Amino acid sequence: MDCTSARPSIQALDVSKHFGTPGDKIYVQALLKTSIEIRAGELVCFIGPSGCGKSTMLNIIGGLLTPSSGSVSVMGGPINGPSPRQIAYVFQENALFPWYNVIDNIKLGMEFQGVDRAEREDRAHEALKAVGLPNFAHHFPGQLSGGMKQRVALARALSLDTDVILMDEPFGALDEQTRMVLGEDLSVLLSQTGKTIVFVTHSLGEAVFLSDRVAVFSARPGRIKKMINVDEAHPRSPDFMTSDKFGDLRNELYRQLHDEIRKTVEQVA
Amino acid sequence: MTVLEKGARTNMAASVQSEEAGLRHLWSKFVSSPGALRLALVIGFFAAWEIYASFFANPRFLPPISEVVLSLPKFFQIRNMTLALGITAFEVAVAFVMAVAIGVAVGIALGFSRVLNQTFMPIVLLIYATPNAVFLPLFMLLFGLGVTSKIAYGFAHGVFPIIITVAAGVANLKPVLLASARSMGASRYQILRHVIFPHMLPNFFAAMRLGMATTLLGVILSELFVSQAGIGHFARLFSMTFQTVNLYALILLVTTIAIIINEILRRQEARLSKWRD
Repeated sequence: MDCTSARPSIQALDVSKHFGTPGDKIYVQALLKTSIEIRAGELVCFIGPSGCGKSTMLNIIGGLLTPSSGSVSVMGGPINGPSPRQIAYVFQENALFPWYNVIDNIKLGMEFQGVDRAEREDRAHEALKAVGLPNFAHHFPGQLSGGMKQRVALARALSLDTDVILMDEPFGALDEQTRMVLGEDLSVLLSQTGKTIVFVTHSLGEAVFLSDRVAVFSARPGRIKKMINVDEAHPRSPDFMTSDKFGDLRNELYRQLHDEIRKTVEQVA
Repeated sequence: MTVLEKGARTNMAASVQSEEAGLRHLWSKFVSSPGALRLALVIGFFAAWEIYASFFANPRFLPPISEVVLSLPKFFQIRNMTLALGITAFEVAVAFVMAVAIGVAVGIALGFSRVLNQTFMPIVLLIYATPNAVFLPLFMLLFGLGVTSKIAYGFAHGVFPIIITVAAGVANLKPVLLASARSMGASRYQILRHVIFPHMLPNFFAAMRLGMATTLLGVILSELFVSQAGIGHFARLFSMTFQTVNLYALILLVTTIAIIINEILRRQEARLSKWRD
Protein backbone atom coordinates (compact mmCIF):
# COMPACT_ATOMS: atom_id res chain seq x y z
CA MET A 1 0.00 0.00 0.00
CA ASP A 2 3.03 2.21 -0.03
CA CYS A 3 2.30 3.88 -3.35
CA THR A 4 -1.37 4.55 -2.66
CA SER A 5 -2.64 7.93 -1.64
CA ALA A 6 -5.45 8.50 0.83
CA ARG A 7 -7.71 10.02 -1.83
CA PRO A 8 -10.81 7.85 -2.29
CA SER A 9 -11.23 6.65 -5.84
CA ILE A 10 -14.40 4.63 -5.44
CA GLN A 11 -17.02 5.25 -2.78
CA ALA A 12 -20.08 3.04 -2.38
CA LEU A 13 -22.59 3.95 0.29
CA ASP A 14 -25.32 1.62 1.56
CA VAL A 15 -25.76 -0.06 -1.80
CA SER A 16 -28.65 -2.53 -1.99
CA LYS A 17 -29.78 -4.43 -5.02
CA HIS A 18 -32.66 -6.80 -5.54
CA PHE A 19 -33.88 -8.48 -8.69
CA GLY A 20 -37.58 -8.99 -9.37
CA THR A 21 -40.36 -7.73 -7.07
CA PRO A 22 -40.88 -8.94 -3.49
CA GLY A 23 -43.17 -11.96 -3.37
CA ASP A 24 -42.08 -13.16 -6.80
CA LYS A 25 -40.61 -16.61 -7.19
CA ILE A 26 -37.50 -15.17 -8.77
CA TYR A 27 -37.11 -12.36 -6.24
CA VAL A 28 -33.52 -12.14 -5.04
CA GLN A 29 -31.97 -9.76 -2.55
CA ALA A 30 -28.44 -9.76 -3.96
CA LEU A 31 -26.88 -6.96 -1.91
CA LEU A 32 -27.92 -5.38 1.36
CA LYS A 33 -26.59 -2.00 2.48
CA THR A 34 -23.03 -2.56 1.39
CA SER A 35 -20.48 0.21 1.75
CA ILE A 36 -16.85 0.32 0.68
CA GLU A 37 -14.22 2.94 0.08
CA ILE A 38 -11.36 2.20 -2.28
CA ARG A 39 -8.34 4.47 -2.42
CA ALA A 40 -6.74 5.61 -5.66
CA GLY A 41 -4.10 3.17 -6.84
CA GLU A 42 -5.36 0.40 -4.63
CA LEU A 43 -6.12 -3.15 -5.77
CA VAL A 44 -9.09 -4.62 -3.94
CA CYS A 45 -10.36 -8.15 -4.48
CA PHE A 46 -13.99 -9.12 -3.92
CA ILE A 47 -14.23 -12.72 -2.79
CA GLY A 48 -17.21 -14.68 -1.55
CA PRO A 49 -19.50 -17.63 -2.18
CA SER A 50 -21.29 -17.97 -5.52
CA GLY A 51 -24.26 -15.65 -5.83
CA CYS A 52 -23.17 -13.44 -2.92
CA GLY A 53 -23.47 -10.29 -5.00
CA LYS A 54 -19.80 -9.52 -5.59
CA SER A 55 -20.24 -9.30 -9.36
CA THR A 56 -23.44 -7.32 -8.80
CA MET A 57 -21.46 -4.87 -6.68
CA LEU A 58 -18.80 -4.62 -9.38
CA ASN A 59 -21.40 -3.92 -12.07
CA ILE A 60 -23.05 -1.26 -9.93
CA ILE A 61 -19.68 0.45 -9.50
CA GLY A 62 -19.20 0.19 -13.27
CA GLY A 63 -22.64 1.65 -13.95
CA LEU A 64 -23.86 -1.41 -15.86
CA LEU A 65 -26.45 -2.03 -13.13
CA THR A 66 -28.45 0.55 -11.17
CA PRO A 67 -28.61 0.01 -7.41
CA SER A 68 -32.07 -0.40 -5.84
CA SER A 69 -30.91 2.01 -3.16
CA GLY A 70 -27.68 3.62 -2.08
CA SER A 71 -25.14 5.45 -4.20
CA VAL A 72 -21.76 5.06 -5.84
CA SER A 73 -19.28 7.72 -6.83
CA VAL A 74 -16.04 7.33 -8.74
CA MET A 75 -13.35 10.02 -8.54
CA GLY A 76 -15.88 12.22 -6.80
CA GLY A 77 -18.56 12.01 -9.50
CA PRO A 78 -21.80 10.03 -9.06
CA ILE A 79 -22.27 6.94 -11.21
CA ASN A 80 -25.53 6.83 -13.16
CA GLY A 81 -24.50 4.62 -16.07
CA PRO A 82 -21.38 3.47 -17.88
CA SER A 83 -18.49 5.91 -17.42
CA PRO A 84 -16.09 4.96 -20.18
CA ARG A 85 -13.75 7.88 -19.45
CA GLN A 86 -13.10 6.69 -15.91
CA ILE A 87 -13.81 2.99 -15.85
CA ALA A 88 -12.63 0.13 -18.07
CA TYR A 89 -13.75 -3.47 -17.81
CA VAL A 90 -12.23 -6.91 -18.20
CA PHE A 91 -14.89 -9.61 -18.22
CA GLN A 92 -14.64 -13.27 -17.33
CA GLU A 93 -15.93 -14.54 -20.61
CA ASN A 94 -14.10 -13.67 -23.74
CA ALA A 95 -15.61 -10.27 -24.53
CA LEU A 96 -13.54 -9.55 -27.63
CA PHE A 97 -15.49 -9.05 -30.84
CA PRO A 98 -14.71 -12.19 -32.84
CA TRP A 99 -15.26 -10.45 -36.19
CA TYR A 100 -12.43 -7.96 -35.63
CA ASN A 101 -8.75 -8.79 -35.28
CA VAL A 102 -6.79 -8.03 -32.14
CA ILE A 103 -5.66 -4.53 -33.03
CA ASP A 104 -9.09 -3.51 -34.34
CA ASN A 105 -10.69 -4.79 -31.14
CA ILE A 106 -8.43 -2.54 -29.09
CA LYS A 107 -8.92 0.43 -31.40
CA LEU A 108 -12.69 -0.03 -31.41
CA GLY A 109 -12.78 0.37 -27.62
CA MET A 110 -11.06 3.74 -28.00
CA GLU A 111 -13.44 4.67 -30.83
CA PHE A 112 -16.40 3.94 -28.55
CA GLN A 113 -14.73 5.98 -25.84
CA GLY A 114 -14.15 8.89 -28.22
CA VAL A 115 -10.37 8.89 -28.68
CA ASP A 116 -9.08 10.67 -31.80
CA ARG A 117 -8.45 8.37 -34.74
CA ALA A 118 -4.82 9.45 -35.03
CA GLU A 119 -4.08 8.47 -31.46
CA ARG A 120 -5.75 5.04 -31.50
CA GLU A 121 -3.14 3.16 -33.52
CA ASP A 122 -0.17 4.07 -31.31
CA ARG A 123 -1.98 3.50 -28.08
CA ALA A 124 -3.28 0.13 -29.27
CA HIS A 125 0.20 -1.09 -30.19
CA GLU A 126 1.61 0.22 -26.94
CA ALA A 127 -1.03 -1.62 -24.91
CA LEU A 128 -0.47 -4.80 -26.88
CA LYS A 129 3.25 -4.58 -26.15
CA ALA A 130 2.52 -4.05 -22.46
CA VAL A 131 0.69 -7.36 -22.23
CA GLY A 132 3.41 -9.19 -24.17
CA LEU A 133 1.56 -9.78 -27.44
CA PRO A 134 3.12 -7.29 -29.89
CA ASN A 135 3.20 -9.89 -32.67
CA PHE A 136 -0.46 -10.84 -32.59
CA ALA A 137 -2.02 -7.59 -33.79
CA HIS A 138 -3.55 -9.16 -36.87
CA HIS A 139 -4.74 -12.42 -35.38
CA PHE A 140 -8.44 -12.96 -34.85
CA PRO A 141 -9.65 -13.84 -31.35
CA GLY A 142 -10.62 -17.30 -32.58
CA GLN A 143 -6.94 -17.98 -33.30
CA LEU A 144 -5.78 -17.20 -29.75
CA SER A 145 -5.67 -19.31 -26.59
CA GLY A 146 -7.86 -18.43 -23.62
CA GLY A 147 -4.96 -16.80 -21.79
CA MET A 148 -3.98 -14.72 -24.82
CA LYS A 149 -7.57 -13.55 -25.28
CA GLN A 150 -7.62 -12.28 -21.72
CA ARG A 151 -4.31 -10.53 -22.27
CA VAL A 152 -5.84 -8.77 -25.26
CA ALA A 153 -8.90 -7.86 -23.16
CA LEU A 154 -6.51 -6.40 -20.59
CA ALA A 155 -4.65 -4.50 -23.31
CA ARG A 156 -7.97 -3.06 -24.49
CA ALA A 157 -8.77 -1.94 -20.95
CA LEU A 158 -5.29 -0.41 -20.51
CA SER A 159 -5.49 1.44 -23.83
CA LEU A 160 -8.61 3.24 -22.62
CA ASP A 161 -6.36 5.00 -20.11
CA THR A 162 -8.93 5.08 -17.30
CA ASP A 163 -8.25 5.61 -13.61
CA VAL A 164 -10.23 2.52 -12.69
CA ILE A 165 -10.25 -1.01 -14.12
CA LEU A 166 -12.93 -3.44 -13.02
CA MET A 167 -12.12 -7.10 -13.54
CA ASP A 168 -14.88 -9.68 -13.23
CA GLU A 169 -13.11 -13.02 -12.67
CA PRO A 170 -10.85 -12.28 -15.61
CA PHE A 171 -8.92 -15.53 -15.22
CA GLY A 172 -11.91 -17.61 -14.13
CA ALA A 173 -12.08 -19.67 -17.30
CA LEU A 174 -8.33 -20.38 -17.48
CA ASP A 175 -6.33 -23.31 -16.17
CA GLU A 176 -4.38 -22.98 -12.92
CA GLN A 177 -0.95 -22.59 -14.53
CA THR A 178 -1.98 -19.97 -17.07
CA ARG A 179 -3.71 -18.17 -14.24
CA MET A 180 -0.56 -18.07 -12.14
CA VAL A 181 1.54 -16.59 -14.93
CA LEU A 182 -1.13 -14.04 -15.81
CA GLY A 183 -1.46 -13.10 -12.13
CA GLU A 184 2.28 -12.46 -11.83
CA ASP A 185 2.35 -10.41 -15.02
CA LEU A 186 -0.68 -8.46 -13.89
CA SER A 187 1.01 -7.61 -10.59
CA VAL A 188 4.07 -6.26 -12.41
CA LEU A 189 1.99 -4.36 -14.95
CA LEU A 190 -0.32 -2.75 -12.43
CA SER A 191 2.46 -1.69 -10.11
CA GLN A 192 3.70 0.49 -12.98
CA THR A 193 0.38 2.08 -13.89
CA GLY A 194 -0.97 3.21 -10.52
CA LYS A 195 -4.54 2.37 -11.49
CA THR A 196 -7.33 1.58 -9.09
CA ILE A 197 -8.40 -2.02 -9.60
CA VAL A 198 -11.38 -3.96 -8.35
CA PHE A 199 -11.00 -7.65 -9.02
CA VAL A 200 -13.67 -10.29 -8.46
CA THR A 201 -12.30 -13.78 -7.92
CA HIS A 202 -13.11 -17.20 -6.50
CA SER A 203 -9.48 -18.05 -5.91
CA LEU A 204 -8.07 -17.51 -2.41
CA GLY A 205 -4.48 -17.58 -3.65
CA GLU A 206 -5.20 -15.09 -6.42
CA ALA A 207 -6.88 -12.73 -3.95
CA VAL A 208 -3.95 -12.75 -1.53
CA PHE A 209 -1.33 -12.57 -4.25
CA LEU A 210 -2.82 -9.57 -6.07
CA SER A 211 -4.66 -7.50 -3.46
CA ASP A 212 -3.82 -4.63 -1.22
CA ARG A 213 -7.06 -5.45 0.54
CA VAL A 214 -9.50 -8.33 0.23
CA ALA A 215 -13.22 -7.74 0.76
CA VAL A 216 -14.89 -10.93 1.99
CA PHE A 217 -18.58 -11.06 1.07
CA SER A 218 -21.14 -12.89 3.20
CA ALA A 219 -23.69 -15.37 1.86
CA ARG A 220 -26.84 -13.88 0.30
CA PRO A 221 -28.02 -11.22 0.90
CA GLY A 222 -24.47 -10.10 0.26
CA ARG A 223 -22.63 -7.56 2.36
CA ILE A 224 -18.97 -7.11 3.12
CA LYS A 225 -18.24 -9.22 6.14
CA LYS A 226 -14.56 -8.40 6.61
CA MET A 227 -11.70 -6.52 5.00
CA ILE A 228 -8.30 -8.19 5.11
CA ASN A 229 -5.12 -6.19 4.60
CA VAL A 230 -2.26 -7.65 2.57
CA ASP A 231 0.67 -5.48 3.53
CA GLU A 232 3.16 -6.35 0.80
CA ALA A 233 4.77 -4.15 -1.83
CA HIS A 234 3.98 -4.50 -5.54
CA PRO A 235 5.13 -5.97 -7.83
CA ARG A 236 4.96 -9.23 -5.97
CA SER A 237 7.35 -12.00 -6.80
CA PRO A 238 6.53 -15.68 -6.94
CA ASP A 239 8.53 -15.99 -3.67
CA PHE A 240 5.71 -14.19 -1.89
CA MET A 241 3.46 -17.11 -2.75
CA THR A 242 5.62 -19.55 -0.81
CA SER A 243 6.14 -17.28 2.23
CA ASP A 244 4.61 -17.90 5.68
CA LYS A 245 2.86 -14.54 5.46
CA PHE A 246 1.08 -15.63 2.29
CA GLY A 247 0.07 -18.91 3.90
CA ASP A 248 -1.24 -17.20 7.02
CA LEU A 249 -3.31 -14.71 5.04
CA ARG A 250 -4.67 -17.43 2.82
CA ASN A 251 -5.69 -19.46 5.88
CA GLU A 252 -7.32 -16.44 7.46
CA LEU A 253 -9.26 -15.85 4.25
CA TYR A 254 -10.29 -19.49 4.15
CA ARG A 255 -11.61 -19.32 7.76
CA GLN A 256 -13.61 -16.21 6.90
CA LEU A 257 -15.06 -17.75 3.77
CA HIS A 258 -15.71 -21.27 4.93
CA ASP A 259 -18.85 -20.57 6.97
CA GLU A 260 -20.29 -18.37 4.24
CA ILE A 261 -19.77 -21.03 1.60
CA ARG A 262 -21.48 -23.59 3.87
CA LYS A 263 -24.40 -21.22 4.34
CA THR A 264 -24.72 -20.72 0.61
CA VAL A 265 -24.71 -24.46 -0.07
CA GLU A 266 -27.40 -24.93 2.57
CA GLN A 267 -29.48 -22.10 1.05
CA VAL A 268 -29.41 -23.85 -2.27
CA ALA A 269 -29.98 -27.37 -0.85
CA MET B 1 14.71 -63.90 -74.52
CA THR B 2 17.75 -61.71 -74.16
CA VAL B 3 18.41 -59.68 -71.15
CA LEU B 4 17.73 -56.60 -73.21
CA GLU B 5 14.29 -57.78 -74.28
CA LYS B 6 13.46 -58.72 -70.75
CA GLY B 7 14.42 -55.27 -69.61
CA ALA B 8 12.27 -53.63 -72.27
CA ARG B 9 9.32 -55.78 -71.28
CA THR B 10 9.54 -54.93 -67.63
CA ASN B 11 9.92 -51.31 -68.59
CA MET B 12 6.75 -51.44 -70.62
CA ALA B 13 4.89 -53.23 -67.88
CA ALA B 14 6.07 -50.61 -65.44
CA SER B 15 4.91 -47.76 -67.62
CA VAL B 16 1.49 -49.37 -68.10
CA GLN B 17 1.35 -49.92 -64.40
CA SER B 18 2.26 -46.31 -63.62
CA GLU B 19 -0.32 -45.12 -66.11
CA GLU B 20 -2.92 -47.23 -64.36
CA ALA B 21 -1.81 -45.89 -61.02
CA GLY B 22 -2.07 -42.37 -62.40
CA LEU B 23 -5.60 -43.00 -63.61
CA ARG B 24 -6.57 -44.57 -60.33
CA HIS B 25 -5.10 -41.56 -58.57
CA LEU B 26 -7.13 -39.19 -60.74
CA TRP B 27 -10.26 -41.25 -60.16
CA SER B 28 -9.89 -41.23 -56.39
CA LYS B 29 -9.22 -37.52 -56.48
CA PHE B 30 -12.37 -37.02 -58.55
CA VAL B 31 -14.53 -39.17 -56.28
CA SER B 32 -13.34 -37.38 -53.15
CA SER B 33 -13.91 -33.90 -54.59
CA PRO B 34 -17.50 -32.71 -54.00
CA GLY B 35 -17.10 -29.92 -56.55
CA ALA B 36 -16.12 -32.25 -59.39
CA LEU B 37 -18.86 -34.72 -58.49
CA ARG B 38 -21.46 -31.98 -58.43
CA LEU B 39 -20.32 -30.65 -61.80
CA ALA B 40 -20.47 -34.18 -63.21
CA LEU B 41 -24.03 -34.55 -61.93
CA VAL B 42 -25.15 -31.32 -63.59
CA ILE B 43 -23.43 -32.19 -66.87
CA GLY B 44 -24.91 -35.69 -66.67
CA PHE B 45 -28.37 -34.24 -66.20
CA PHE B 46 -28.12 -32.03 -69.28
CA ALA B 47 -26.54 -34.84 -71.32
CA ALA B 48 -29.39 -37.18 -70.35
CA TRP B 49 -31.89 -34.48 -71.26
CA GLU B 50 -30.21 -33.94 -74.63
CA ILE B 51 -30.09 -37.65 -75.49
CA TYR B 52 -33.59 -38.44 -74.28
CA ALA B 53 -35.12 -35.40 -76.01
CA SER B 54 -33.26 -36.03 -79.29
CA PHE B 55 -34.12 -39.69 -79.67
CA PHE B 56 -37.06 -40.67 -77.50
CA ALA B 57 -39.25 -37.80 -76.33
CA ASN B 58 -42.00 -35.95 -78.11
CA PRO B 59 -40.33 -32.63 -79.08
CA ARG B 60 -43.65 -30.92 -78.52
CA PHE B 61 -43.14 -31.44 -74.76
CA LEU B 62 -39.41 -31.81 -74.38
CA PRO B 63 -37.10 -30.17 -76.91
CA PRO B 64 -33.35 -30.93 -76.65
CA ILE B 65 -31.43 -28.50 -74.44
CA SER B 66 -29.19 -27.55 -77.37
CA GLU B 67 -32.23 -26.35 -79.29
CA VAL B 68 -33.38 -24.32 -76.30
CA VAL B 69 -29.99 -22.65 -75.92
CA LEU B 70 -29.71 -21.94 -79.64
CA SER B 71 -33.18 -20.38 -79.65
CA LEU B 72 -32.16 -17.76 -77.08
CA PRO B 73 -31.13 -15.01 -79.56
CA LYS B 74 -34.49 -15.37 -81.28
CA PHE B 75 -36.20 -15.56 -77.92
CA PHE B 76 -35.11 -12.04 -76.99
CA GLN B 77 -36.60 -10.74 -80.23
CA ILE B 78 -40.10 -11.85 -79.33
CA ARG B 79 -42.26 -8.76 -79.29
CA ASN B 80 -42.44 -7.16 -75.81
CA MET B 81 -40.16 -9.83 -74.30
CA THR B 82 -37.45 -7.43 -73.15
CA LEU B 83 -40.15 -5.15 -71.80
CA ALA B 84 -41.63 -8.09 -69.88
CA LEU B 85 -38.23 -8.99 -68.46
CA GLY B 86 -37.76 -5.36 -67.46
CA ILE B 87 -41.15 -5.17 -65.75
CA THR B 88 -40.54 -8.36 -63.79
CA ALA B 89 -37.06 -7.23 -62.81
CA PHE B 90 -38.49 -3.91 -61.63
CA GLU B 91 -41.24 -5.59 -59.61
CA VAL B 92 -38.81 -8.01 -58.00
CA ALA B 93 -36.30 -5.26 -57.23
CA VAL B 94 -38.83 -2.96 -55.55
CA ALA B 95 -40.48 -5.81 -53.63
CA PHE B 96 -37.10 -7.16 -52.54
CA VAL B 97 -35.70 -3.83 -51.36
CA MET B 98 -38.87 -3.20 -49.36
CA ALA B 99 -38.81 -6.74 -47.93
CA VAL B 100 -35.16 -6.41 -46.87
CA ALA B 101 -35.57 -2.94 -45.35
CA ILE B 102 -38.67 -3.78 -43.36
CA GLY B 103 -37.71 -7.39 -42.69
CA VAL B 104 -34.31 -6.44 -41.26
CA ALA B 105 -35.73 -3.62 -39.12
CA VAL B 106 -38.53 -5.79 -37.71
CA GLY B 107 -36.18 -8.77 -37.37
CA ILE B 108 -33.69 -6.75 -35.32
CA ALA B 109 -36.46 -5.42 -33.09
CA LEU B 110 -37.93 -8.89 -32.55
CA GLY B 111 -34.52 -10.44 -31.98
CA PHE B 112 -33.53 -7.76 -29.52
CA SER B 113 -36.57 -7.24 -27.34
CA ARG B 114 -37.87 -10.26 -25.52
CA VAL B 115 -41.27 -8.65 -24.99
CA LEU B 116 -41.70 -7.80 -28.67
CA ASN B 117 -40.53 -11.25 -29.62
CA GLN B 118 -42.98 -13.02 -27.32
CA THR B 119 -45.81 -10.77 -28.48
CA PHE B 120 -45.35 -10.75 -32.22
CA MET B 121 -43.20 -13.72 -33.23
CA PRO B 122 -46.08 -16.24 -32.92
CA ILE B 123 -48.12 -14.08 -35.31
CA VAL B 124 -45.23 -13.86 -37.77
CA LEU B 125 -44.71 -17.61 -37.65
CA LEU B 126 -48.43 -18.23 -38.08
CA ILE B 127 -48.68 -16.02 -41.16
CA TYR B 128 -45.51 -17.59 -42.54
CA ALA B 129 -46.98 -21.07 -42.08
CA THR B 130 -50.22 -20.38 -43.93
CA PRO B 131 -50.24 -21.34 -47.61
CA ASN B 132 -50.30 -17.74 -48.77
CA ALA B 133 -51.26 -18.54 -52.35
CA VAL B 134 -54.88 -18.34 -51.10
CA PHE B 135 -54.31 -14.66 -50.39
CA LEU B 136 -53.34 -13.95 -53.98
CA PRO B 137 -56.89 -13.15 -55.20
CA LEU B 138 -57.21 -10.83 -52.23
CA PHE B 139 -54.10 -8.94 -53.32
CA MET B 140 -55.58 -8.54 -56.80
CA LEU B 141 -58.73 -7.20 -55.25
CA LEU B 142 -56.90 -4.75 -53.01
CA PHE B 143 -54.08 -3.62 -55.29
CA GLY B 144 -55.55 -4.09 -58.74
CA LEU B 145 -54.18 -6.05 -61.66
CA GLY B 146 -51.15 -3.89 -62.36
CA VAL B 147 -47.61 -3.66 -61.10
CA THR B 148 -48.64 -2.69 -57.55
CA SER B 149 -50.30 -5.97 -56.68
CA LYS B 150 -47.30 -7.93 -57.97
CA ILE B 151 -44.93 -5.86 -55.86
CA ALA B 152 -47.19 -6.20 -52.83
CA TYR B 153 -47.48 -9.95 -53.24
CA GLY B 154 -43.75 -10.35 -53.82
CA PHE B 155 -43.07 -8.27 -50.72
CA ALA B 156 -45.52 -10.32 -48.65
CA HIS B 157 -43.71 -13.46 -49.75
CA GLY B 158 -40.24 -12.11 -49.10
CA VAL B 159 -40.59 -10.26 -45.83
CA PHE B 160 -41.47 -13.11 -43.46
CA PRO B 161 -38.50 -15.41 -44.00
CA ILE B 162 -36.29 -12.31 -43.67
CA ILE B 163 -37.87 -11.31 -40.34
CA ILE B 164 -37.54 -14.82 -38.94
CA THR B 165 -33.94 -15.38 -40.07
CA VAL B 166 -32.72 -11.97 -38.93
CA ALA B 167 -34.47 -12.25 -35.55
CA ALA B 168 -32.83 -15.63 -34.98
CA GLY B 169 -29.45 -14.13 -35.87
CA VAL B 170 -29.79 -11.26 -33.42
CA ALA B 171 -31.19 -13.34 -30.57
CA ASN B 172 -28.13 -15.52 -30.02
CA LEU B 173 -25.72 -12.62 -29.46
CA LYS B 174 -23.63 -13.14 -26.30
CA PRO B 175 -24.81 -10.60 -23.65
CA VAL B 176 -21.22 -9.99 -22.54
CA LEU B 177 -20.42 -8.43 -25.93
CA LEU B 178 -23.20 -5.90 -25.43
CA ALA B 179 -22.11 -5.21 -21.86
CA SER B 180 -18.55 -4.78 -23.05
CA ALA B 181 -19.55 -2.31 -25.80
CA ARG B 182 -21.77 -0.37 -23.40
CA SER B 183 -19.02 -0.18 -20.78
CA MET B 184 -16.71 1.42 -23.34
CA GLY B 185 -19.31 4.05 -24.16
CA ALA B 186 -20.67 2.73 -27.46
CA SER B 187 -23.68 4.61 -28.80
CA ARG B 188 -26.78 2.82 -30.07
CA TYR B 189 -25.61 3.30 -33.63
CA GLN B 190 -22.11 2.03 -32.81
CA ILE B 191 -23.57 -1.04 -31.12
CA LEU B 192 -25.70 -1.70 -34.19
CA ARG B 193 -22.82 -1.15 -36.59
CA HIS B 194 -19.98 -2.91 -34.75
CA VAL B 195 -21.72 -5.53 -32.62
CA ILE B 196 -25.19 -6.52 -33.78
CA PHE B 197 -24.66 -6.21 -37.50
CA PRO B 198 -21.39 -8.19 -37.79
CA HIS B 199 -22.85 -10.80 -35.47
CA MET B 200 -25.95 -11.32 -37.58
CA LEU B 201 -24.15 -11.03 -40.92
CA PRO B 202 -24.34 -14.75 -41.81
CA ASN B 203 -28.05 -14.74 -41.00
CA PHE B 204 -28.48 -11.49 -42.88
CA PHE B 205 -27.13 -13.08 -46.03
CA ALA B 206 -29.16 -16.23 -45.50
CA ALA B 207 -32.19 -13.92 -45.11
CA MET B 208 -31.35 -12.09 -48.35
CA ARG B 209 -31.04 -15.37 -50.23
CA LEU B 210 -34.27 -16.75 -48.83
CA GLY B 211 -35.99 -13.40 -49.32
CA MET B 212 -34.84 -13.13 -52.94
CA ALA B 213 -36.09 -16.62 -53.75
CA THR B 214 -39.49 -16.05 -52.11
CA THR B 215 -39.94 -12.55 -53.56
CA LEU B 216 -39.24 -13.90 -57.02
CA LEU B 217 -41.72 -16.68 -56.36
CA GLY B 218 -44.38 -14.20 -55.24
CA VAL B 219 -43.96 -11.92 -58.23
CA ILE B 220 -43.96 -14.69 -60.83
CA LEU B 221 -46.86 -16.43 -59.12
CA SER B 222 -49.01 -13.32 -59.31
CA GLU B 223 -47.95 -12.74 -62.92
CA LEU B 224 -48.99 -16.27 -63.79
CA PHE B 225 -52.31 -15.72 -62.08
CA VAL B 226 -53.22 -12.51 -63.85
CA SER B 227 -51.55 -12.34 -67.23
CA GLN B 228 -51.04 -8.80 -68.41
CA ALA B 229 -47.34 -8.21 -68.40
CA GLY B 230 -44.08 -9.61 -67.10
CA ILE B 231 -42.51 -12.98 -67.70
CA GLY B 232 -45.30 -14.81 -65.88
CA HIS B 233 -47.58 -13.64 -68.64
CA PHE B 234 -45.28 -15.11 -71.30
CA ALA B 235 -44.83 -18.34 -69.38
CA ARG B 236 -48.58 -18.84 -69.45
CA LEU B 237 -48.82 -17.83 -73.07
CA PHE B 238 -46.05 -20.24 -74.13
CA SER B 239 -47.54 -23.17 -72.27
CA MET B 240 -51.06 -22.60 -73.61
CA THR B 241 -49.88 -22.22 -77.22
CA PHE B 242 -47.41 -25.13 -77.08
CA GLN B 243 -44.34 -22.94 -77.70
CA THR B 244 -42.29 -25.33 -75.61
CA VAL B 245 -38.88 -24.19 -76.82
CA ASN B 246 -39.68 -20.66 -75.73
CA LEU B 247 -41.10 -21.88 -72.43
CA TYR B 248 -37.91 -23.82 -71.71
CA ALA B 249 -35.83 -20.82 -72.75
CA LEU B 250 -37.74 -18.66 -70.31
CA ILE B 251 -37.34 -21.18 -67.48
CA LEU B 252 -33.64 -21.52 -68.26
CA LEU B 253 -33.20 -17.76 -68.22
CA VAL B 254 -35.02 -17.16 -64.91
CA THR B 255 -33.24 -20.08 -63.27
CA THR B 256 -29.86 -18.82 -64.42
CA ILE B 257 -30.54 -15.30 -63.13
CA ALA B 258 -31.73 -16.67 -59.77
CA ILE B 259 -28.62 -18.84 -59.46
CA ILE B 260 -26.33 -15.92 -60.33
CA ILE B 261 -27.93 -13.63 -57.73
CA ASN B 262 -27.75 -16.38 -55.13
CA GLU B 263 -24.11 -17.02 -55.94
CA ILE B 264 -23.18 -13.33 -55.72
CA LEU B 265 -24.77 -13.15 -52.26
CA ARG B 266 -23.06 -16.36 -51.16
CA ARG B 267 -19.61 -15.13 -52.23
CA GLN B 268 -20.14 -11.79 -50.55
CA GLU B 269 -21.10 -13.62 -47.38
CA ALA B 270 -18.01 -15.83 -47.52
CA ARG B 271 -15.81 -12.78 -48.05
CA LEU B 272 -17.27 -10.98 -45.03
CA SER B 273 -17.21 -13.97 -42.66
CA LYS B 274 -13.52 -14.78 -43.03
CA TRP B 275 -13.01 -14.38 -39.28
CA ARG B 276 -14.99 -17.55 -38.67
CA ASP B 277 -12.12 -19.86 -39.62
